[in-house]
Amino acid sequence: MRVESHRFAFVALWLLALAALAAFAWHALRITTDLRSFMPPPQTPDQKLLMEQIGEGPGSRLLLLAIEGGDEATLASLSRGLVEKLHADAHFEQAFNGAFDPSALDEHWLPYRWLLSPTLDTHALDAAYLSDQLAQRVEDLASPAATLLKPWLARDPTLETLALAQRWSPPKAPALRDGVWFSSDGAALLLAQTHAPGFDPAAQREAIDALQATFDALPDRGEAHLVISGPGWFSVRIDAQTREEADRIGAASTIGFILLLLVAYRSVPSLLLGGLPVASGALAGLATLALVFGQAHGITLAFGFTLLGVAQEYPLRVLSHRRAGEDALASVRALWPLLATAIVSAAIAYLAFLASGVPGLQQLAVFTIAGLLAAGLSTRYLLPRVLPARFRDVADTPGLARATRWLDTVPRPRWLPWLLAALGVGVLGFAPGPTWQNDLAALTPLPQDLLLRDAKLRGELGAPDVRYLLVLHGDSPDAVLARSEQIEPQFDKLVAQGALDAVELPSRYLPSLATQRARQAKLPDAPALEASMAEASRDLPFREGLFAPFVADVQAARSLAPLTAAEFAKSPFGARLASMLVQRDDGWLGLATLSGVRDVAALERAVHASNGAVSLLDLKAASESLVAAYRERILRALGVALVLLALTVGIALRSVRRAWHVLAPMTLATLLVVVVERACGISLSLFHLVAVTLAAGLGLHYALFFERRSDDAAEARRTLHATLVCVISALLVFGLQALSSMPVLRAIGLTVALGVGFHFCLSILMARARRE
Amino acid sequence: MLAATLLAASPTSRATPPDAAHLVVQLKRAPPARTAYTEVRFSGLLDRPLILRGEMEYLGPGKLAKRVDKPYREQTSVENGTATMQRGDKPARSLPLAQIPELESFLRGFSALLGGDAQTLTRDFTLDASGNDARWQIVLKPRDARLARRVESIRVDGAASEPLCFRTHEADGDDSALLVGPLAATTLPPRVSTMQVDALCRGVKP
Repeated sequence: MRVESHRFAFVALWLLALAALAAFAWHALRITTDLRSFMPPPQTPDQKLLMEQIGEGPGSRLLLLAIEGGDEATLASLSRGLVEKLHADAHFEQAFNGAFDPSALDEHWLPYRWLLSPTLDTHALDAAYLSDQLAQRVEDLASPAATLLKPWLARDPTLETLALAQRWSPPKAPALRDGVWFSSDGAALLLAQTHAPGFDPAAQREAIDALQATFDALPDRGEAHLVISGPGWFSVRIDAQTREEADRIGAASTIGFILLLLVAYRSVPSLLLGGLPVASGALAGLATLALVFGQAHGITLAFGFTLLGVAQEYPLRVLSHRRAGEDALASVRALWPLLATAIVSAAIAYLAFLASGVPGLQQLAVFTIAGLLAAGLSTRYLLPRVLPARFRDVADTPGLARATRWLDTVPRPRWLPWLLAALGVGVLGFAPGPTWQNDLAALTPLPQDLLLRDAKLRGELGAPDVRYLLVLHGDSPDAVLARSEQIEPQFDKLVAQGALDAVELPSRYLPSLATQRARQAKLPDAPALEASMAEASRDLPFREGLFAPFVADVQAARSLAPLTAAEFAKSPFGARLASMLVQRDDGWLGLATLSGVRDVAALERAVHASNGAVSLLDLKAASESLVAAYRERILRALGVALVLLALTVGIALRSVRRAWHVLAPMTLATLLVVVVERACGISLSLFHLVAVTLAAGLGLHYALFFERRSDDAAEARRTLHATLVCVISALLVFGLQALSSMPVLRAIGLTVALGVGFHFCLSILMARARRE
Repeated sequence: MLAATLLAASPTSRATPPDAAHLVVQLKRAPPARTAYTEVRFSGLLDRPLILRGEMEYLGPGKLAKRVDKPYREQTSVENGTATMQRGDKPARSLPLAQIPELESFLRGFSALLGGDAQTLTRDFTLDASGNDARWQIVLKPRDARLARRVESIRVDGAASEPLCFRTHEADGDDSALLVGPLAATTLPPRVSTMQVDALCRGVKP
């Protein structure tokens, strides 16, 4: 009885310690979701730009919105209401619905129209030009459009603000109805640009929730609803979908796992207590991350928990290997050398990830090493003290003896592994499809209808391609703008030739200082302008003195300091340009978005002709090269890990031959997993590599325990029992994942399930000590 | 109903305002119907009115054409929800009317007037008739708030089944008159006043 109460106190203390760890990790660990912290440091200029642009480029922060399900007037007023609210929303940098509100150009900005609009490049404000313009205004006044024009006539008789509005509206804008964008099938269209990076699902979800709440709060919505698309929305959807499916599969496999353990050990306390080492490992890993980094990437944690699956073997081994009448502590002591070899060799192998130079992988190494050590040590020193004294020796499990005997008699031809290896290498050479999956997007596909909807909205809105970006180089923002002006005619020609639909250059919003000064120099002084106006309106019916505000504006424009990019950014229209100019250590970059690119070769020729002043960034190619560089680092880390592992196992077993018996089946099984996946046409991604690593860790255990020489028939049965429980549980958990519709989960599930199968069979074939 | 019959039979029947919808139906012309016009536009921006002369055409429901001959040449046509305008030798410009819903409903009303389509007209405007069958006025006020922000009212003056004058009062105080039929050829002084135009439309000597 005293022993029992002692045991309960120990369990309580353990749980208390875990709760303390959990509380610490909860408070100290910040979970990040930005994909970039899981990427290797960029090397090439293109990769550097990509890392800045992933999620932060103007294109990827754009949400495409449609308001559907209502009559035109309702949708238009909802569109206006939404944009007004989004302008005041801190989540959004800007929002457009096509409405051009000239009143947004207030007193301060109106005179600048002379410096911003290209009119003065081709016309002078002389009597001839003005008389033509004024005559047109008389005719406009007699036309049905007069009501729209009248409020502006006195101040802007040459309709310069209208010319600017046209210049600043998107190159391929949707049709305007009731002053706002509408799609061809009658939905109001809008664009909203978030502050949050496009590939940061948590931040995007916050922005999208705010957007939806804003829309839901608009008055008189009726049946109308909001449709959202764009990169940010996709990352939110993928994130939620993966989580949802992982949770569902997790729940199903947990139930299966519990049932399996109940059948295997017929003891509820053993089952519950057996979970404590893994929980200790996970919490210790989290706490260590909190101590060392203070933060962890969501992907680190997902991979980390996957890799920590190895640790579930430790308590299972203890439960299976305990012999009848033996004290739990004594049986752990007997197992410990082998378990310690497995734990230490895995931990040492993961040290290789620390040297990878990728923050996410370093976090992964710290988490996994801390987790494995904590799970191992708690299995050794804590678990035996809390296990109930009464238990069933699994050596007596019905059927186990027969299975062991059968395995002993299975023929094990020595040439079979060599033949398998040779066949495998041969198949690899002929496997269909590319070996490596470099396209990150291929791992996160969306339902076809969502992609079609995105393509449709993108087409209607004339939203830029996410793939290509034109990059302009300069020493200062003004140099970038001058460069932009310089290439404008060339790209206008490409658009006219149909190489692309449109290009949005920074100089479309703000001309260079030199151009602004040149336009300013063409503005006439007050007496000259008044004389020209008098001559121009001599035969026209305009009221005397009507155009005084116009003359005043021109005079004000003559003495304005030309607008710098920094100054223009403060204007109501400045946000667009600000997002196109990027400061770098060695100068400034201008980012021009391209839409409807059809002839990449023509673009490349134009860019080539600029002698390095302009470059074309293919975000897809840059991201693929980045992924390839990333994979190279992982592969190198894995290579180093393998060497470390072989050394540790060799030293622990003190025999090259025994180490070979353990490592050979592990290596061959890993090869066969890759062979089978490649033979099925699967291209390997980062997720496959992580999964192969986990499977190898499990395989190491199988081989180590099978290799152990034992003359005790009951002990051999216990080893088989432990391994079978581990294999079946791994097959259950990862086999279910392999059925997932999410490629990420499928990649991990299929690889581990295949790996566990191969490792088990080959360990029996190659490592299992034959009892003579 | 009884009261109406009694009223109609009473000696005061001459003062009974005519039925607006009935008057509108009488305006119906078989397309294509052409008429010359003189348009006078008064604006706060101008020190004398704009006077335009030309020809208008009603080509069927939703189809209108207007040609300006003097003082400049311009051809405007409205068809299938698109307004196309050509001035002088310049290339034609077209504009989907859906972009400016107030203009669309104004032109729809105008087309309905010329087509004698009382039903369409009463959907977009409130109608109020006065005068008598020989000399009458209908005042149309837009129901649509967007159009009402631009156009306060449209007044049609007519005699028997013939319209004479379309007056548009804009919300900003500007005013225009379209003189058609027998009034189209009226010679006007260059600085004609709103009062003079008003008298002309009502058929009273100023």
